[in-house]
Amino acid sequence: MKRTIKLRINGSEHELAVPANALLLDVLRNDLHLVGTKRGCDMGTCGCCNIIIDGRAVNSCLVLAFDVEGRDIQTIEGVTASADDDSIHPLQEAWAECGGSQCGFCAAGFIMTVHALLENEPQPNRAGIAEALGGNVCRCTGYKKILDAVELAAGRMAATT
Amino acid sequence: MILPTFELHHPTTITELVEIARDLTAQGEAFDYMAGGTDVLPNYKNRLNPRPHVISLARLAGLDEIGVDRIGARALVDDLARSSVLSEHYPGLVEAARSVSSPPLRNLGTIGGNLLLDTRCWYFNQSEFWRESKGYCMKADGDVCLVVPQKEICYATYSGDLAPVLLVLDARVTLVGPDGERTVPLREFYAFDGITRFLKGPAELLTAVDIPSSSRELRTGYRKLRMRDTIEYPVAGVALALHTDGDKVGRLEVAVTGTEAIPLWYGDLDLTGQPATPATAEALQEALVDRVTCYRNVPFPPGYRKAMTGEYARELFSALVG
Amino acid sequence: MARHPHDPKNQKQGLIGQPVPLIDARRKSTGQAVYTDDIKLPGMLVGKILRSPHPHAMIRSIDTRAAEALPGVHAVLTGQEAPNRFGVLPVSQDETALAVDRVRFVGDGVAAVAADDEATALEALSLINVDYEPIRAFLKIEESLEEVPDELKLHTKTVGNTNIHKQVQQDFGDVDGAIDAAKWSKRQRFLFPGVTHAFTEPLCTIAHWNADDRLTIWSAQQVPHYLHRALATVLEIPMHRIRVVRPTVGGGFGGKSDPFPHEMVCALLTRKCRRPVRILFDREEVFYNNHGRHPSKIEIALAIDADHKISGLDIDALIDGGAWGSFGVVTTYYNGVLANGPYRLPSFRYRGRRVYSNRPPSGAMRGHGAVNTRFAYEILLDEAAHDLGEDPADFRIKNALSSYTKTINEFRITTNGIVECIERACDASGWKDKKGKLPFGEGIGIAGGFYISGSALPIWWDDIPQSTVHLKIDYDGGVTIHSLAAEIGQGSDTMLAQITADVLGLSIDFCRVLTEDSDTAPIDLGSYSSRVTFMAGNAVRRAAEDMRRRIIQGAADVSGYPTELLVMEDEHVVSVADPNVRIPYLNAVRRAMKDVGALVTTGCYSSAPPMGGKHKGAAAGLSPTYSFQAFVVQTKVDLLSGKPRVTEVWAAHDCGRALNPLAVEAQIEGCVHMGLGQVLCETMDYHKGNLENPNLLDYRTLSPSETPNIHPILVETLDPEGPYGAKECGEGPLLPVLPATANAIWDAIGERFYVLPITADKIYRALLKQKKQGRYGKRPFSDQSEKSPAR
Repeated sequence: MKRTIKLRINGSEHELAVPANALLLDVLRNDLHLVGTKRGCDMGTCGCCNIIIDGRAVNSCLVLAFDVEGRDIQTIEGVTASADDDSIHPLQEAWAECGGSQCGFCAAGFIMTVHALLENEPQPNRAGIAEALGGNVCRCTGYKKILDAVELAAGRMAATT
Repeated sequence: MILPTFELHHPTTITELVEIARDLTAQGEAFDYMAGGTDVLPNYKNRLNPRPHVISLARLAGLDEIGVDRIGARALVDDLARSSVLSEHYPGLVEAARSVSSPPLRNLGTIGGNLLLDTRCWYFNQSEFWRESKGYCMKADGDVCLVVPQKEICYATYSGDLAPVLLVLDARVTLVGPDGERTVPLREFYAFDGITRFLKGPAELLTAVDIPSSSRELRTGYRKLRMRDTIEYPVAGVALALHTDGDKVGRLEVAVTGTEAIPLWYGDLDLTGQPATPATAEALQEALVDRVTCYRNVPFPPGYRKAMTGEYARELFSALVG
Repeated sequence: MARHPHDPKNQKQGLIGQPVPLIDARRKSTGQAVYTDDIKLPGMLVGKILRSPHPHAMIRSIDTRAAEALPGVHAVLTGQEAPNRFGVLPVSQDETALAVDRVRFVGDGVAAVAADDEATALEALSLINVDYEPIRAFLKIEESLEEVPDELKLHTKTVGNTNIHKQVQQDFGDVDGAIDAAKWSKRQRFLFPGVTHAFTEPLCTIAHWNADDRLTIWSAQQVPHYLHRALATVLEIPMHRIRVVRPTVGGGFGGKSDPFPHEMVCALLTRKCRRPVRILFDREEVFYNNHGRHPSKIEIALAIDADHKISGLDIDALIDGGAWGSFGVVTTYYNGVLANGPYRLPSFRYRGRRVYSNRPPSGAMRGHGAVNTRFAYEILLDEAAHDLGEDPADFRIKNALSSYTKTINEFRITTNGIVECIERACDASGWKDKKGKLPFGEGIGIAGGFYISGSALPIWWDDIPQSTVHLKIDYDGGVTIHSLAAEIGQGSDTMLAQITADVLGLSIDFCRVLTEDSDTAPIDLGSYSSRVTFMAGNAVRRAAEDMRRRIIQGAADVSGYPTELLVMEDEHVVSVADPNVRIPYLNAVRRAMKDVGALVTTGCYSSAPPMGGKHKGAAAGLSPTYSFQAFVVQTKVDLLSGKPRVTEVWAAHDCGRALNPLAVEAQIEGCVHMGLGQVLCETMDYHKGNLENPNLLDYRTLSPSETPNIHPILVETLDPEGPYGAKECGEGPLLPVLPATANAIWDAIGERFYVLPITADKIYRALLKQKKQGRYGKRPFSDQSEKSPAR
C-alpha cells in the first residue's frame, strides 16, 4: 500500500506515493528518475549509491524513504559550482581532468562522499581521503587518480575561499 | 532490490514507541526496531527473519548524546569515532568505532545497533535463493546448524566492534519496554547462542549505554583482525582495559569479539599484581588463546583467528603499559 | 571557474602524446552518462530469471501455468522454446538462453518471466514449478577428467568420455634434454582459485521488439557485434532486423565480453509480449554469470643452463571452465603459449586441459589466460636467480628476448622494450640499494610480462576487417566518428577522437564519437584481447587521412595551390611553402562538399600480415605486436598479523607509443589494483556447489587505503604497425603485479607461496614456523621450499 511522502531533494520538494518499504535509492532512480545515483551492490558495500543527507554521505540503498522525510537530501544532480552557479563543481572538474573516472559508474558515489568530506574537512591529507573513501569501490582506477582529483579540487577550493 | 513488505511505524517519543510496541505485542504481531538500518535492511533484503512491522527510530528526538558517562543508543558510530570526549577518556572505544564497517555506514549505524548486531555466518548471511539451494539453517527458516551439524545450538559469530570495549569498561545498558525501564550490566546482557544472543525482551528498546566513573582510570585499546582495511566485520577483535599500579597490573579487563556467538568478557583472567612486563603480556596471550574458540563460518581459518586474539592481546597490553 | 579541458584554448596542437582527459569524463562526473539501467522506456516490464538451486540436475518438467495466470505477468519463457545454441567462439556453441534439459550450476537460468513490476515478477518465479532430478555434480577439477557415462557429461562435445572441454599439446625443442642438462631446475605446482571482474555496474539488458518487427537491444556489452550474431542465431532472424545498442558501460574487464543468456532471454521475452523488457541483475546474479579467471592448477618445470640462460620450460595447466565453453579454448592455449616471452626460450612444452564443471562459467578476464602461468614462471625465475647467485633483474635482462625476432613457437616479435622496462623500473625504485637490504618484513620484488595487442586472426574467420571506422563531416564542420569499438571506460572513444583531431589539425572538441549503435556504426569486433587502440586506431587513422586528403583537395580548389604543399593544422589548411596560404578549415570543407554533400570516409584494419607457424594452435596468441612490461613492487609485511601490504609499485610498460599518457597511466594503475587483488585477497570460494561469497562484502577487492603508490613508467618503442607506434596497455600491465608482489614478499620474509591469494593467515603460519625453527628474522634467506626433481 502506498502512502504519500514528501522529500526535499537538491532543494526541491517532491511529493509522491510510495510503499512503506520503499528504499531511498529506488525512489530516486525509479520514481524520480534521478539516475545519476547508481545501484552497484544494493547491500551498502560499494558506495555507488552514496548521497548526502543532512551533510553526511550515506548509502541510499540502506535508507528507507520514509525515514528521511523532512531531511535535506542531495544527489549528484544537485552538485553544482555553488548555490547560485549551475556550472560544474570543482570536484567534478578535477575528476574529469585527473582521470578520476574511467567507466564512471562509481563516480557519483565517490564525488558525493568527498563532497561531504570537504564540507567538514576542507584540506584532508591523502591518507585521510583514502580512509574517508573506505566505503566506495572503484574497479577501474586503482584509486590513484581519484585521490589525485580530490587533492586537486580541495586545493583549488581552498584557494578560492 | 525490494524489501519484504512491512508496516512502518514512526514514533516521535519513547512513550509513543512503547505504546506501539505494547499494542503490537498484545496483538501477537512481531516487529523489529530499526535505527540506522545497516544491519536490519541487508538482512531483510536477504529475507532473513523479516517481521511484519518495523518500528523506525528515525523520528525519535534525542537519545544521541555522547558523554563521558552516558551515550545515547542513537548516537552515530561516526560521531563516536570523532568524539573528543571519548577520545580523551576511552580511546579504545574511539578506535573500535573508527574500525566499524565504512564511513558512509558509520554515518547511518548507531551504537545501539552495533551492540545488538545480529550474528553472522556463511550459511546465514546469504540470499533466500542461496539458502534454499544450500539448505536452510536453524537461524532462519531451517532446523539444523550447518557449521556444527551435530549440535543443537546456533554457532553464528557475533561481529560487533563496540561491545568488547564496552565490556572491558563494564558498561551498563538501559532497556525500556512495556514493563518499564531497567539497566543491565553489559557483561550479563549477552547470552546463549547465535539466535538468542542477549537477554532483551522483544519489545525492549536499548536506549542508553552508561560507563561507570570507575572505568575512567582504565587505559583502553582495541585491535581488530580483518582482511581489508575497511568494510569488514571483525573476525577476531580484542579489547583491553588496563590500570597499572606502579609497575604492576592494578586492574586488567579483557574481552573479545568475532569469535563465538556472543562477545566475551574474560572475568576469570586475573593478572592483578603481576608485573607490567613483556612476560606478563605473553602470559596474557597464552591465557587468552586457551580460552578462545572460533568456528569455521567467517573469513580466515579458526586457528589463525584464535592465535590472533592472543597476539593482539599481547601487543595491546604492551602498548597500554606504554 | 576552471575551463573545460577540451576548450581549444587549453590545447596545444598535435594531440598525440598529450595527456587528454577522456571526452566523456564530465558526463560521468556529473552523473549525466546514461548506463543501461538508466534508460526508461514507456511500458517497460521487469524481466526476472528463475535459477537452478542444484549444481547438476536433469529437468524432468517445468510447470509455468500458475505463473502465466498471475495478473501482471506478460510473458513466461522456458529453455525448450529457444534451444538454439550460441557462444562467443564458433567452436564452443554450447550455451542456450535457458537450460533446455539439464542445469549445470547453481544459478543456471531455468525459466524467465516479464511482469509489470519486480514484486510481481518475483512472485511469478515462485509459482514456477520445476521438477529436477539431481545427478552427480563435478565440483573438483580432477573429477572432470574421469571417464563417465554420457548422461554425466556436461556437454556432448568433450574429449572422449570425459568432461574435458579442450586439451592441447605443444612441443618445441628438447625440454627433457634441457632439464637433464640443467645447472638449475625445478618443478613446482601452483594453485589459483577463480577470481572475477567485480565491475561496479551490474549486468543489465533492455530489449524491445517493436511494431516494425525489429528488435532493439540495449546492453552493457564489450562485444556488441558478437551479441548481434548470437541473437540472430537464437532468435532465428536475420541480423538486419536486430539493432544492438551499447549504452555507457560500467566496467567490463572481460566480464561483459560474451553474448550472455540473459540477453537472449530479454529478447525472447519482448518477442513474446511486444513490450520493452528490462533484466537487471542483482549482485549475486552477477557472480553466477561470472566468466572470470579460471580456477587453475598449474605445474611448471624450469631449466637453467650453465650460462644461466633459460634452457627449457615445461607447463602443464589444468583449468576449470565451469559450465560453459565461453572463450575457454583460447584460454586453454593462452595458459601455455603466452609464456613464450618476454624471455628467450630454446625449448618449450605445454599441455593444457580445460574441464567443464558444475560451477559458474569461467571466461576471459583482464590478462586473459596469461596471468596464472606468468605468476608461476616468474616465481621460479626468481628462485633460480636466487639459487644461482644472480640479481633477479639482471638475470631477466640476460634472458630477455630481443626485438624483431621470432619466439620458438613462431610469434613474430617487433619492437620489444623489456630491457628498458626492467632497467627503468629498477632505476626508479632504487632496486640495487634495496634488494636484500631492507629490514626484515620489508621487501622488493620484480617480474616481467608480455601480452598480445589484439589477436592477429579474428574469432570468426570471415573475410571482413576486424575494425572499420566511418567519418562524416557536414556543413557544421564537426567530425562524426562512427565505430562499434566499445567504450567501456578504457578511453577508446577518446582515442578515436584524438587520432581524428590530430590528423585533421583540429581541437578534439570538433569530434563527436558515436560508438553505441549497430544501426549506424560499422563493425568493430569489440573490446577484448587488447585490440582496440591497435586495430580501431589504425582504422580511424586511415579514415581520417582519407578525410584530410579530401579537405586538402577542397582547399586546393579554393586557393589554387597544389595539394602536395598543403597540410592541416590549427583549424586551417596551410601551405608548408608559403605562410600566407592559410585557408580556414570550414572553407575547405564546404568547398570539398560541393558535388558530394557531406564528406564521408572509411578506414579499416583487417588482419596483420601472414605470420605464425603451421603447428596445431599456431594462431593462438598470435598478435600483430606485443606489449612488454616489468614491475618492481615493494612490500611491507605486518609481522604481528602477517598482513602483507604493498607500498610502492614501479610499473614500466612498453606501450609502443603513449597516444594519451593520462589514459595509459590509468590502465596501468587499474591493472595494479586488479592484480594486487588477485594476489592478496580476491578469491571465489565454494562450498560444494555453492559460491560462498557472491557479494562485494565477502568478495574482497582492495580498498583505497590499501592502494600503493603507483609509479607508471611509459616505455615507448614505436611499433611499426601500430597507430603512431602504439601497442596495448590495458591488460599486459596486470601480469607482473602478482609475481612481483610474491617475489617482494619473499624478499621481505624469505617465504614462497604457491597458492593464491597470499593472505595474512598463510604468512602468519609461515612466520610461526620460522620462529620454531629459529630462523625468524634472519637474512640472507635460503630457499626452504622442497625441490622436486624437474623430471
